[in-house]
Amino acid sequence: MDRRKFLKQSSLASSLFFVPSFVKAFEQVASSELGYKRLVIIQLSGGNDGLNTVIPFRNDLYYKERPTLSIPKNEVIKLNDELGLHSSLTPLKRLYDNGYLSIINNVGYPNPVRSHFRSMDIWQTATDSNKFSQTGWLGRYLDAYGEQPYSAIEVDDNLSLALKGSNMNGIATQDPKTLFNLSRDPYFKNLGKHQNDAHLSEHNLGYLYKTMIDAQSSAKYIYETSKTVSSVKEYPNNKFGKQLKTTAQFINSGLQTKVFYTSLGGFDTHVNQQNTQKKLLKTYAEGIETFVEDLKANNTFKDTLILTFSEFGRRVKQNASVGTDHGTANNVFIIGDQLKKQGVYNNMASLSDLDDNGDLKFEIDFRTIYATVLNKWLEVDDHKILNKSFNQLDFI
Amino acid sequence: MKAKHIQHLYWRAGFGILPNQVEVLSKLKKEDVIRNLFESSKNVTALKVDTAEIDAVLNGETKRSSEDLKKLQKLSREKTIELNVAWVDRLVNSSELLREKMTLFWANVFVCEDNNVVYIQQFNNMLRQHALGNFKDFVNAVAKEAAMTKYLNTKQNKKQKPNENFARELMELFTLGEGHYTENDIKESAKAFTGYGHNLNGEFVFRRFAHDTTDKTFFGKTGSFKGEDIIDIILEQKQCAKFICEKIYRYFVNGVLDEAHINQMADVFYKDYHIESLMRFVFSQEWFYNEENIGTKIKSPIELLVGMNVLVPIKFNNPKQLLYIQKQLGQTLLDPPNVAGWKGGKNWIDSNTIVLRLKLPSILLNDAYISKMELGESDGMMATKKSAFKNTYGKKFKIEHNWEAFNKNFKDVDVKDLQDYILLSDLNLEARHYLKSLNKVSKHEYCIQLMSLPEYQMC
Repeated sequence: MDRRKFLKQSSLASSLFFVPSFVKAFEQVASSELGYKRLVIIQLSGGNDGLNTVIPFRNDLYYKERPTLSIPKNEVIKLNDELGLHSSLTPLKRLYDNGYLSIINNVGYPNPVRSHFRSMDIWQTATDSNKFSQTGWLGRYLDAYGEQPYSAIEVDDNLSLALKGSNMNGIATQDPKTLFNLSRDPYFKNLGKHQNDAHLSEHNLGYLYKTMIDAQSSAKYIYETSKTVSSVKEYPNNKFGKQLKTTAQFINSGLQTKVFYTSLGGFDTHVNQQNTQKKLLKTYAEGIETFVEDLKANNTFKDTLILTFSEFGRRVKQNASVGTDHGTANNVFIIGDQLKKQGVYNNMASLSDLDDNGDLKFEIDFRTIYATVLNKWLEVDDHKILNKSFNQLDFI
Repeated sequence: MKAKHIQHLYWRAGFGILPNQVEVLSKLKKEDVIRNLFESSKNVTALKVDTAEIDAVLNGETKRSSEDLKKLQKLSREKTIELNVAWVDRLVNSSELLREKMTLFWANVFVCEDNNVVYIQQFNNMLRQHALGNFKDFVNAVAKEAAMTKYLNTKQNKKQKPNENFARELMELFTLGEGHYTENDIKESAKAFTGYGHNLNGEFVFRRFAHDTTDKTFFGKTGSFKGEDIIDIILEQKQCAKFICEKIYRYFVNGVLDEAHINQMADVFYKDYHIESLMRFVFSQEWFYNEENIGTKIKSPIELLVGMNVLVPIKFNNPKQLLYIQKQLGQTLLDPPNVAGWKGGKNWIDSNTIVLRLKLPSILLNDAYISKMELGESDGMMATKKSAFKNTYGKKFKIEHNWEAFNKNFKDVDVKDLQDYILLSDLNLEARHYLKSLNKVSKHEYCIQLMSLPEYQMC
């Protein structure tokens, strides 16, 4: 008997035979176990060239501005009459065909900044481009709704600003066993025992204590929970593949974590872009497909939403080094089993109406995507986290 | 000079100081201690690993086939590890303390990376050469380094189609800071740097025919500017002096900026952009020795590793393990995360790095054992526990530690005073209670206990 059926039957039985209060308690357990929605963020660092990822293969301007860098029509994997994918993205095309992919075109923000670090901070903090913030959007989600630091995990060696809140930070780990082993010395436990939480993170030393205490409690839970499951799927043998494998292991073991964060770097293609991007997109697409299959096999895909972004797209016109310089708007991929609008969400950016720099003018503010995900997927008050109201989109 | 102030100065200008040196310096006046610090950094000792085999190919003495090239790349990778280890060793042992600390600082301002060890070694020594010199010469030297023209694509920057990468980072990260220039300034200045390149030996080459000689308009000035002219105009902006002073303040004084102090520094620096004068000014200020600046900075991974080495010398028999630790702590020398470098401060710390940082002294120096014996107890099992840990960790790390040096250096320090020489930060209340409840089994064991405290992560 599967779990859902069992729960249905037993709650039916309970409504007949048991007192109502017990039913209520039981339903609460059931709802926290079932339909436990998770969000996975994949960051493509360096500024992926969106125009050579989702390609407007009917647009003469595209070929005119990129005489040696454009993807020839016959190599494009066609999605419709206008748009196609880079030839490395065959696995992504399969997800598209199954209705698991929604491509949101022309995503950016007002007054774009072309610095990697600033633009990445803007995406991670979800603030206006002229405002600075010490907290990330997922960190503020933790502050407001996170139950434990491990409510958000970055599957990497270091924690990104995105997962840093004022009172709570997410956990960074690629290797739960090592984390657990390093943190378990009773000496550290004794040091953390009587610390008064309230003012700890106000200064540097307190921040160390607080992070130590959070790491201790989370490390044990993450390790002991996740070790029960190991993946049988074969992931591509690279760092990104490993990160996704660990993420799947965390999800499939039922870890009470709402948000996972991973990244794939190297997209800053100023010089000889073709080979670099080809390789990176292949790594991305192969990894993602395996990840989705792994989740499907464990019946967790339906409750997982995967969002892929990059800090900016690249300039329409290629540069002198068969590469591209920093640009603005870009595409965002949403992958999941419960998409309302599958396929291509909106039209491609205009290549004739560019800004003074020769860059795309964005159409969709990335924070409307965050707002939608927060509100409709994680079911929280997006305004409280983004400190502003944004229109909701209808991809989920 | 007060012992605590000497320790503070030596932690910021170096990587800590041993008790006998504190003893000597505490008899001097502050001015003299500072003068000594600069005196001993007068010389520049280049850091060099043996690259003869690669040099021969770059000089054209050895013919190269494609197979040779592959071999050469492999050799270059190995030599880069060697250079990393030599650099750490230099930081531990150099008498040119301040110059070395400044070199480490500048390596995170003028961030650069290259797979050719000859170029990156040359870049590293350029940093060392200019570390306390004139900032204008420094920026020009950076712009002309082979590794930099590769890293930020200046060598692909040609008059037909400019590549903006270097021009952008020059202003955003090296001199002015984001928001203090326009997109047009980037486009125009990129033209001025067209034609920059290098020969195989790594020497700067100005390719006349790739240089755009047309007029450029930059910060309101128009002329047929070259790279040097652009750097002149950037340095005319007071913002440039301020931007660098902020970086210096964050690194040497406090991560929380004090506008008044920064402005004083910028006034000094803007006069002649002389780095040594600026550093003298900083170390001489009363505010440098304010309570809020002492023991309140989170050590960088390299500061942590080198500082441990100053206390108890460690030798890695397998150099790759030293690099592994750097990587796990989040700072591998010669391998910055990106052109913005390491963010530093609280950014060093997350769940992953904090547990390793706390456990590292005991792993490297004490077979992963931290004594938890309470007052009046003695651990009869200590030796057994250590050997058990050694079986687990000893296999992992091939290291030799020199506790004899520690014993010698701390001979005249009473065990109860050990804390004053190992920690700069005040003890957290709970930590003080806990430490009080523990038995000070020996100087050695107590030292490990102190080094395993979050307080030891501060300098």
